[in-house]
Amino acid sequence: MTTLDTRPITPPVTDNYLTFRRGFLSWAFTLDHKRIGVMYLVAVLSSFFVGGVMALLVRTKLLFPGEVSWMSNEEYNKAFTLHGAVMVFLVIIPSVPAALGNFVLPIMLGAKDVAFPRLNLFSFYLWVLGAICAVYSLLAGGFDTGWTFYTPYSSQSEAGGIIPVLIGVFILGFSSIFTGLNFIVTIHKLRPPGMTWFRMPLFLWAVYATAIIQVLATPVLGITVALLVVERAFQIGIFDASMGGDPVLFQHFFWFYSHPAVYIMVLPGMGIISEIIAVHSHRHIFGFRFIAFSSIAIAIFSFLVWGHHMFTSGQSPLMNVLFSAITFSVAIPSAVKVFNWLATLYKGSISLNTTMFYGLSFLFLFTIGGLTGIPLAVISTDIHLHDTYFVVAHFHYVMMGSALIAMIGGLHHWWPKMTGVMFSEFWGKIACAMVFVGFNLCFFTQFMLGSQGMPRRYYLYQPEFKMYHHISTGGSYIMGLGFLITAIYLIHSLFAGKKAPANPWGGASLEWQCSSPPPHDNFATTPRVGDCYDFSAVHWDESTQGYVVDAEAHIAAAHSGKGH
Amino acid sequence: MPVTNLIPTLLMQSSATPGAAQPVTPKTFWLPEGASTFSRQNDWVFDFINYINYFFFFLVVGIMLYFVWKYRQKGREVYARGPSHNTVLELGWTILPTIIVVIIFFMGFRGFTQMKVAPANAYQIDVVASRWNWVFKYPNGATSDDLYIPAGKPVNLVMRSEDVLHSLFIRDFRVKQDVVPGRYTSLWFQADNPTEGEKFHWLFCTEFCGKDHSNMNRKVFVLNESDFASWVIEQGRWLDKIPAEELYFKAGPKIFARCASCHTLDGKASTGPSWGNYDGSGNIWKRSNDPNTAHKVDGKPLSELIGVGKQYENAKSYLRNSILNPNEHLVDPFGPAMPTFRGQLNDKAIDAVIGMMEHLDEFDTKAPFAKKTDGAAAPAPK
Repeated sequence: MTTLDTRPITPPVTDNYLTFRRGFLSWAFTLDHKRIGVMYLVAVLSSFFVGGVMALLVRTKLLFPGEVSWMSNEEYNKAFTLHGAVMVFLVIIPSVPAALGNFVLPIMLGAKDVAFPRLNLFSFYLWVLGAICAVYSLLAGGFDTGWTFYTPYSSQSEAGGIIPVLIGVFILGFSSIFTGLNFIVTIHKLRPPGMTWFRMPLFLWAVYATAIIQVLATPVLGITVALLVVERAFQIGIFDASMGGDPVLFQHFFWFYSHPAVYIMVLPGMGIISEIIAVHSHRHIFGFRFIAFSSIAIAIFSFLVWGHHMFTSGQSPLMNVLFSAITFSVAIPSAVKVFNWLATLYKGSISLNTTMFYGLSFLFLFTIGGLTGIPLAVISTDIHLHDTYFVVAHFHYVMMGSALIAMIGGLHHWWPKMTGVMFSEFWGKIACAMVFVGFNLCFFTQFMLGSQGMPRRYYLYQPEFKMYHHISTGGSYIMGLGFLITAIYLIHSLFAGKKAPANPWGGASLEWQCSSPPPHDNFATTPRVGDCYDFSAVHWDESTQGYVVDAEAHIAAAHSGKGH
Repeated sequence: MPVTNLIPTLLMQSSATPGAAQPVTPKTFWLPEGASTFSRQNDWVFDFINYINYFFFFLVVGIMLYFVWKYRQKGREVYARGPSHNTVLELGWTILPTIIVVIIFFMGFRGFTQMKVAPANAYQIDVVASRWNWVFKYPNGATSDDLYIPAGKPVNLVMRSEDVLHSLFIRDFRVKQDVVPGRYTSLWFQADNPTEGEKFHWLFCTEFCGKDHSNMNRKVFVLNESDFASWVIEQGRWLDKIPAEELYFKAGPKIFARCASCHTLDGKASTGPSWGNYDGSGNIWKRSNDPNTAHKVDGKPLSELIGVGKQYENAKSYLRNSILNPNEHLVDPFGPAMPTFRGQLNDKAIDAVIGMMEHLDEFDTKAPFAKKTDGAAAPAPK
């Protein structure tokens, strides 16, 4: 502690990680977590585009139920399968931890990099390899099993791309495991002096909880898809009843991973929301410990509830009852988080900028997503709602309305930090409003469709469902346009955006105390940290048109316990 | 539902009074009409959760909007001082939801135990699901494609699948159960009110099963006890009562309705080869009887299979085998997707089907596939 530098750590830097080295090879072989994060971001957003186009095709086909010339019924089945698989395995799972987390996590810790930079690059290339397998599977005939790969359909289907995509999922799983492992070690070993667990930003708590799930649950998915490949390729009966296997066993294996995976998707998003709401309300987060522990609680409980996907599968009724009861345990920590975020708004100084728009959208959408989970956790009502559009609507509110909206919010929150430029607030708000309105039109109608009995994965429907389907498709177009505008103004800002100050929003965690974009090594010296949610030492600086953290006062406040 | 009814309904055993011709629960904004003895209880739980959800949703969003308006940023110096924790408050909003969800869990648990155990006197119907067919078998051996059940009597469906997972969902009854290959699953329900006239309840397949998953739906008719008793006897015998000379045009289209989910009559593409002329080699009867046919089966012209001294003496034998062992020969380029009809169609039924093929030109190519009236123009569509 004696030799640490306590001066403000925003020395004028001329060099940054983008200009540190140049050329294709400097990116391809980089070990810099920031560059790997950016490469992940580009890859994930490209996949998001592909998955989004598939979604729009699916919604458009539902405008015209029956035969249409541009999409056969088999192609429809392949399109919704591809949409689901791409969005889950290539987009949402890596989006926050691997893309944003990679960029932000070491900087928030005041570290130069993650613990294992080479493993980090390796996991990115594993992602690329997994994505190549997915693309190859399309050339090999695509796959039409639904993203859940339920047996025995997946062991019998004639679609040629099933084995390639399963191998892709297997490889993507390792990418996810390595990222999780890397983050666990980094958070344990590379925290700076003064950053105790309860001084650690909540985003890192969430990423840490996520990493635990990634490391513990993903191997089960790997084994499951490997068994399915063996069954398909060598006709060894494991899941297919006609070869002596048990199809319900597959569902247990699959959901043992895929339910925790839901929290791999949404927990990091919750972490982002904790950051966004605190920073843009400019006041201390409310109930730090409750939010932090609720992340860990969700991570633990997430392993115990997989059977609630199988209330109608034919598993024993006793298990249905037990899984239903345990499922409610994940509702509590989720509710606690929502109440804590709300209380953080109380007596804040709330900036109504694009990022906060996304944060508030998250609160709205996650509340709906969470509450509509209740009738699905109750066995008797789930039996009516299972495998209908109600489930589709529910998980889109959680996966997209929460996880992805938080990711887009985080992208805006850290965009000035990552790129060094500001985006257009005007277009940002318009696009966010379009996404919000479009999303609700698209998916809220699906609650009614589902509770009225419309099964999922149908390309035909009864005339009574027509109006809801039309509104839903209309909403999806508005949402698509919103994302298109987002892409345009973000890319435009790269060329014409105003130069970003180091701290445009008034954050107090470490990433706001290095320049935008950060230098190659993030910090010249290991920084000391105060309370990252204490904004009392954050002041507006007219000369840079940004905020500065008075590090001296910030750390002093943390030691005296002030600022709470 | 008025509040005064809530408590009695919650305590009441699930036995709605029969007789009234109106649904047990009417169609609402959220739920379709309820027609089984489960619907009252289940809808009540659903509505109860919904009201709680409305409350918390408007609470959260209301508070959020109020705070956002009241505490919006003013000026550039933004530091705001607010409480960073409050243990009593936080424990409160941890414990209160816990109590609520425990109550809700028990409501669902109670409904589920009723749905799971079928009464001992339940009327059993065996269900066989295959891609993309439902077959319902009644105790007297009668089978049907749509489900007919007696009113006011518990019905137990014992189900198995011939290929992949399916799931039987009757939304108005609020019941659903996966149909799993390699095991029997069951579900029971009781509908007290007969369906009137053209009315019926939808039955959907809700587990993705491939290409025609969306078409795997059927109708459920509820008949009063005496109607059902005569229907099921009639259904067991209907084929016997048709005289031989009327067999192909009376029984043929009725049986073909089951084939129609995969085969068309007009040559259009579907899951299986059309019975009509789709590849220029004539309809199914013509191409099977043409010694020079270009129609290919297993990669060879069909004529190599049919003829004196060949595997099939005549076209009828080949067609019969295609119904009973559908995957022994595959028409190019179709895959092995057809379930066997062994045990489902007897000799007379197969005669009717082959007879219909033989006289295919006489039939309407659109459902209900009835025989066209001789010489007259096709009737105007209704």
